[in-house]
Amino acid sequence: MSAVVGEPAERTDGIAKVTGEAIYGVDYGETGMLHARLVRSPVASGTLREIDASDAEQIPGVRRVLTAADAPTDRAGWVLREQLLFAADRVRYEGEPVALVVADTVEAAQAAARAIQLKIEPAPVVGDIEAALADDAPLIHPDWQSYEPVSGADHPRYGNVAAEVVADTDPEGFERAFAQAAKIVEDEFSAPRQYQAYLEPKSAVARFEGGKYTVHTAHQYPFNVRDRIAQYLGVRPSAVRVVGHHIGGGFGAKLDAALEPYAAFAAEKLRRLVKIVNDRTEDMLTCPCRENAIVRLRTALSADGDILARELVCLMDNGAYSGEMPWLAGLPVHVLGQVYRTGVPRVVGKLVYTNTAPTGAFRGVGGTYLYFAVERHMDNCARRLGIDRRAFRLRNLIRSGDAVVNGQVLEDADILAEAFDRIEEIAPWGERPTSSSNGKLRGAGVAAVTWMTNPGAGSVVLKLNEDGTTGVVTAGTENGSGAIAMGVTQIVAEAMGVRSEDVVVLMPDTDAAGYDGGSQGSRTTHVVGRAALIAAEELTQKIFDVAADLLESSPSDLELRDGEVAVKGVRQSGIPLATVGATATFTVGPLTGTGSYATPAPAFNPGCATGLLFPVFPTPSYHVHYAEVEVDPDTGQVDVVRYVVAQEVGKAINPAGVRGQIQGGVTQGLGYALYENVQIVDGRYQERRLETYRLPLAPDIPDVEIILLEHPEAAGPYGARGVAEPPVLPVAAAVGNAIADAIGAPITRIPFTPADVLTALHDAREGSVAAAQP
Amino acid sequence: MELHLTVNGDPHTLDASPAETLLGVLRDRLGLTGTKEGCSEGECGACTVLVDGAAVDSCLLLAHAVNGAEIVTVEGLRDGDGALSSLQSAFVKAGGVQCGFCTPGFLMTLTAFLEENPAPSEDEIRTAIAGNICRCTGYSQIVESVQFVIGGTK
Repeated sequence: MSAVVGEPAERTDGIAKVTGEAIYGVDYGETGMLHARLVRSPVASGTLREIDASDAEQIPGVRRVLTAADAPTDRAGWVLREQLLFAADRVRYEGEPVALVVADTVEAAQAAARAIQLKIEPAPVVGDIEAALADDAPLIHPDWQSYEPVSGADHPRYGNVAAEVVADTDPEGFERAFAQAAKIVEDEFSAPRQYQAYLEPKSAVARFEGGKYTVHTAHQYPFNVRDRIAQYLGVRPSAVRVVGHHIGGGFGAKLDAALEPYAAFAAEKLRRLVKIVNDRTEDMLTCPCRENAIVRLRTALSADGDILARELVCLMDNGAYSGEMPWLAGLPVHVLGQVYRTGVPRVVGKLVYTNTAPTGAFRGVGGTYLYFAVERHMDNCARRLGIDRRAFRLRNLIRSGDAVVNGQVLEDADILAEAFDRIEEIAPWGERPTSSSNGKLRGAGVAAVTWMTNPGAGSVVLKLNEDGTTGVVTAGTENGSGAIAMGVTQIVAEAMGVRSEDVVVLMPDTDAAGYDGGSQGSRTTHVVGRAALIAAEELTQKIFDVAADLLESSPSDLELRDGEVAVKGVRQSGIPLATVGATATFTVGPLTGTGSYATPAPAFNPGCATGLLFPVFPTPSYHVHYAEVEVDPDTGQVDVVRYVVAQEVGKAINPAGVRGQIQGGVTQGLGYALYENVQIVDGRYQERRLETYRLPLAPDIPDVEIILLEHPEAAGPYGARGVAEPPVLPVAAAVGNAIADAIGAPITRIPFTPADVLTALHDAREGSVAAAQP
Repeated sequence: MELHLTVNGDPHTLDASPAETLLGVLRDRLGLTGTKEGCSEGECGACTVLVDGAAVDSCLLLAHAVNGAEIVTVEGLRDGDGALSSLQSAFVKAGGVQCGFCTPGFLMTLTAFLEENPAPSEDEIRTAIAGNICRCTGYSQIVESVQFVIGGTK
């Protein structure tokens, strides 16, 4: 049979999804369930004086109103145990849960939630990073010192700073480099929050039975949900079972628990099945958006264009609670030196509490704005030096064997130069658009990224079913990317010598499958795929042992092909896997194989930084993006007319799926670059519905030209590296550089709205007029 | 109030309140959960169904406003023998589906569109789906799914 890996096989959940048969989290329900709705704080900061539910409780069909008075006092959190199930005395962001209404119908729950009277005494709102860092800023968490780190080991934090990371191992060398520099370039950049805008709002359905919580949810990381519920409710994790369903998009926003703990809590209190669904506005208000941030860069340059030293200071908005953000506070350390040699580096990352909704992961996390800042700054450095932007990049590009800021050696970093070369073949830099045409200003930009594949652990149990199909038990999740429905499925099919449709994957279930680190950081195909290969090896050996008797052959002479076990080198057909499965059932028992894998941490320098909770960047992949834009000088409208991606993928398990990830990731990046913007005024989100939050639509988006580089990664299944996360990363950088090139003016703030572009153009013209005057 | 609808060829008579949306009736009363609720304000297009052949956002439509109408949902796109429609089939083959939550809405919008315009240009396809949000695919493979259909292959 033809190989399955490397083929554009159809995704195995495709038919269920095009027929409407696929049951997503919001679709799941059972007869007799109750409906819950959260009452959320309408203000960003205040003291909660009273919750008056007397009117609400009179509404027909209302069963209970639950508040902090009913709930355990355990605090929960991914990194820091900061948060109570319900705000008890203080509210810290608009949307923070204050009470839960449980009713017979959705309508009764909604009416009751509206009828609850909250008495909240307003307190000053610490609405942004700078306000939180002011000397006289009120503390968002006066009790911050009492919060326990989940890992047991604390990290540097104080006052309104939830995490601080500093890499400054050679301060004297750093100062010396700046003292000796021919040129010093300084820049400041900023980025807003970006809403993940998955189309399926968050939901959960929970049951409590015999001391056990069973929670149905469409989630990227079921084991994280299990652990969070256990923390909030003060039970051991195995008292919680999380069952997965089809996920209507997540992009990182469905990595931490959201509604699940409330459904579980209500199910226990009422001893009934309880369902809860977010409406779109509460989903937006409480979703852990990509954080807003400020990035400052300063570089010491030699006259001929070497980077002698570089400083990066990054201030990140944590919102009112931390989620996984303390992990991500160390990202600036990784981003600074992973693409360009930085001379002597200095990095400061600060994660800052504010009275806003907690921020969190969105595909590419802070790398989107960090690479935007680094790559805009690279353009500015080249301009100040009078050197071509691309040549300046190539001169300072890291090379295979270079150690980066954390001391990790990137063994295959020469792929970056290859990616620049491959882009050059189809979009020669010397032929880029430089002049205006049709009244439009034209420009080009380039940006490069090194990114990791999340190393988190995963496991797979494979079983040979008696009909010859292969069952896959894993808690790896299919978030839509195809990592399970194509990637892992095709890897198993290839290893077992069967077709994709003969691979049957169980939906995630934390009671059935081993721990899995969730669909994050492009890890599923790489890590779960590798675990699947380990399991396949064991299962194959057991199959050969049974088949050897039937074929009167030695197990070592057998192979799997076309759904059969056959003797190697012999053309005649063997015996069907179904026969082996059925035979085993009556002889040695059913055949299974198990595999577990976590990417080993590469060597690094533990002294490279303080506060670095995520010290390495395993299984790197390399990326260069190239963008051409046209800017209307009268309206500020930006059209991205050409977009080229060169991406290292190791091995494309499914080229059509890889393309979908790149096209989709670039599109999210274009939204980030050009329109998407959660604006916050006094802690209050201004964009509260999809009507006002502008997302990329079909007429906006060019077809991305894609160059796949395939240097197999030794540990990856068939060489595969992570694919799905990185395509979003360089987009704001490449497009920002292209716009700045087109208009001849600095672009420093994401998104690049028509108004901002016009202002930059206007300022540049005023400036050049002023400069021309004596 | 009595409500009469024909949904995917089956006649239904229900007692529905004046406030119920068509989406609510389809999902909660008839159990047709293929039609999705993404935003409840007509922005995302995930709830698109055909009402007497026209693609509309069912979240904005009161059920009684379409009393007596013929409704087609994603569950009604298969032909009489249960085979996928050429558009459904193309979405699977050409990579038009990722998370799939927007897919029913795209299928309904495009089914109506192709009835009106059986040989659209790429620009016409992109304009036709400008009222449907897909957060996963970046649209190219959705556009190609349509081109796959009008190219005559299934």
